[in-house]
Amino acid sequence: MSEKLLIGRTIDTGSWVHRIDPRAKMVAMMLYVVIIILSNTWLEMACVAGFSFAIIALTRIHIKYFIRAAKPLWVLMLFIFIVQCIKVDDKNGAILLSIGSWNLYVEGFKLGLFSVLRMVFLVSFTAILTFTTTPGRLNQGLEGVLKPLKAIRVSPDRFTLMVSIALRFIPSILEEAQIILKAQASRGADVRELPWKEKGKMLVSLLVPVTVGAFRRAEDLVHSMESRGFRMGEPRTKYHRLVWRSRDTIFIGFFIVMLIAMVWMSGYGTGELWTL
Amino acid sequence: MFQRELIGPHYTSNAFEESVRNPSVNSSKCSPAIELVGVSYGYAKKDLPVINDITFSIPQGQWVALVGANGCGKSTLVKLMNALLPKGEGTIKVKGLELQSDTIGEIRKTIGMVFQNPDNQFIGATVEDDIVFGLEGQCLSIEVMEERVKSYAAKLGIADLLDKHPSELSGGQKQRVAIASILSMEPEVVIFDEASSMLDEKTRNDLLNILSDMHKSGRYTIISITHDAQEIAASERVLVLQEGKLIADRTPTELFQDEKILEMSHVIAPFAFQLTTELHKYGLDISIPNCEKELTEALWPLHLRK
Amino acid sequence: MAITFEKVNYEYDANSMWGQAALQGVNLHLESGVLAGIAGATGSGKSTLLQMFNGILKPTSGTVRVLDITLRGGEKAPKLHQLRKRVGLVFQFPEQQLFEDTVEKDLCFGPINFGCSMDEAKDRARSAMEKMGLDVSLLSRNPFQLSGGQMRKVAIASVLAMDPEILVLDEPTATLDPVSRAELIQLLHRLCREEGRTVIIVTHRMDELLPFANQWVILHEGRTVFQGTVKALIEQADQMEAYGIVIPQSIRYWRAISEKFGLSGEDPCLSAEAMSKRIAQLVNSEDV
Repeated sequence: MSEKLLIGRTIDTGSWVHRIDPRAKMVAMMLYVVIIILSNTWLEMACVAGFSFAIIALTRIHIKYFIRAAKPLWVLMLFIFIVQCIKVDDKNGAILLSIGSWNLYVEGFKLGLFSVLRMVFLVSFTAILTFTTTPGRLNQGLEGVLKPLKAIRVSPDRFTLMVSIALRFIPSILEEAQIILKAQASRGADVRELPWKEKGKMLVSLLVPVTVGAFRRAEDLVHSMESRGFRMGEPRTKYHRLVWRSRDTIFIGFFIVMLIAMVWMSGYGTGELWTL
Repeated sequence: MFQRELIGPHYTSNAFEESVRNPSVNSSKCSPAIELVGVSYGYAKKDLPVINDITFSIPQGQWVALVGANGCGKSTLVKLMNALLPKGEGTIKVKGLELQSDTIGEIRKTIGMVFQNPDNQFIGATVEDDIVFGLEGQCLSIEVMEERVKSYAAKLGIADLLDKHPSELSGGQKQRVAIASILSMEPEVVIFDEASSMLDEKTRNDLLNILSDMHKSGRYTIISITHDAQEIAASERVLVLQEGKLIADRTPTELFQDEKILEMSHVIAPFAFQLTTELHKYGLDISIPNCEKELTEALWPLHLRK
Repeated sequence: MAITFEKVNYEYDANSMWGQAALQGVNLHLESGVLAGIAGATGSGKSTLLQMFNGILKPTSGTVRVLDITLRGGEKAPKLHQLRKRVGLVFQFPEQQLFEDTVEKDLCFGPINFGCSMDEAKDRARSAMEKMGLDVSLLSRNPFQLSGGQMRKVAIASVLAMDPEILVLDEPTATLDPVSRAELIQLLHRLCREEGRTVIIVTHRMDELLPFANQWVILHEGRTVFQGTVKALIEQADQMEAYGIVIPQSIRYWRAISEKFGLSGEDPCLSAEAMSKRIAQLVNSEDV
């Protein structure tokens, strides 16, 4: 079940992309989202694909990992595809397929395909962020990106401490859940073999121990942090300091150039930004 | 490994720094590392106290084993020492400084604690982050932190693991990281709260060696809560707790030879002690052997006499 | 034969987040009614092996035969309900699997899952408590209010209540104090001796199990490197260090004594009591 979970899995190839400042990567990913939204024609999609593959190649991480990252969402994608196909009911449009009284229009099919492609690219590509950045650095980046929030009295270091503890302990808690699942299966409650209506009963036998376990961990963690002198809100120095280098600017530059190109193409192509 | 430090220039300069920064260090040199007077504690008012009127003091540099059955209050007692639990009755002094709400910070700086569960006390996302967590709290400069990470990681043999995530480490490695994290903060008292009980036999021996080295360096006062016979044997002094009361204060050898106290403390003596105690029942008085060879050598003449 | 493994391989899914140690060509034969100890360094595959005994993990290749049920690598597994009922598997820190608000309900969970009536389940709960040396008055208590040692025993009783023919335990004594540990091992020994159950215990404290176990299995890097009696184990004890296991004190002493006094053919005396009795016979003039 959770074996396909790829959260926080860094794949270290030591590439150029790995060394990029996490803040730069985060900004770049935001730009990528805009780029994806702007890609509305086959040509634009091809450009995005070319760009994405080029960046992916730079990471030196095998493409299969990126494909795998999008895999868990295939049901959702199928759903979106079908909805888009059904939604378009353009009486004047070209018909691709007719089943009884229902028509599949070329336009709907295209729209569905584009939605799915966008999603695949979005999910796979943004996996770069987790694949090339350790959770720790990701978190430092997050703190940097969230710094403006200090103005509205939200403290980013509290938030990032929370995130880092969550990142640190979620895998442990899932592992514990896995063991409890096995233990209860050994006591005759196997999720895979139980009929559907009895799976609910199973849930209690899983949730109670996992919750108790999480509290036990939390208590241990608090003791450990306190005995190392931690007090919320006390001043601390920072061991890791992010240093912005020229390569970070260059990395973001790629995305800005791509974004400008997209805006230009969509403007040039049809004169309207949102048509296919 | 720790001993080298004593004579090295690094240590002397450190000690110097400290006495300049904190003039009270010199005056408190003679005061005990830990002093408890009439300490009692109960989780709920109605319940029986978990800790019942405990008084003892531990001189600096001593290695004390704290033993007793599961649930006798050992863990509660040490958690009172650095205020992980709210204050109970009685007074606790750490290096002459009384534990009060305004001294908690100072006292936590003096006492380092290593806990039982290797995974749950790992705070950072990597080994390096875990070591610096406490150092950042002490507001040290990056240079000092780098220095400390390097030297303590080397001392505990985890220098190659600095960028590892806890899920990539074994239990024994995680405990080494925990110890490095604590020692890098340079505490004077280090408490091990059943730190070896979740480790396998071999790793437990490694941990014991670390404790011995720490003790030999003379820099640390060590309190270790343990059930492990070998660990008890290596310590200098054993405090036995039963139902929240201090019932015995002995040397390990005295403890291992006193069957009554042994039973009350739920400790099982090392095999050599068990054997000599049993042999004694058959009228064979043999001094406790250090190894199996010593035993056979002691027995052989008796066999020949037969 | 209770358990037979033939050339069992287990490869873990490389994509899996939880690294389950692999097994390679494991052969194993355990008779019914034995008390077997399984030892090995961390990561040697002990936990993987245990989880194959009741089909929680299935072999990648090779054959696992437990009682009259056969699991073959690559084949679709039969319904495992019967196997799970007959092989009770106790995981490490089993107290962490408790979830009901009374001890009795937790003990009835297993039996009811395996089709017992409520009354029958309650009877079994009571008898399991007695077998684990627990007072039946604890049945109405909340398991989370018990002491650590009691919780551990309750959790083992919750598996025992299924009345399994084979009881498998993964480090049942971990983190208990030495007296509780010795007591638990004795209870498990009694289950084997008096009720004829096959009991298999994974341990990293061989010392405490040595006087009781009649079969030993040693795993090293996913392979069975030793299987046999205590006597055979002692003969090959020198290799233990290579397998990442510390040679138990009792074995060290017994070997020294048996070499010096020429007792190599004898059954080993591995408890302090038994060993000193044997020594006394050797050195005292009058027979003891």
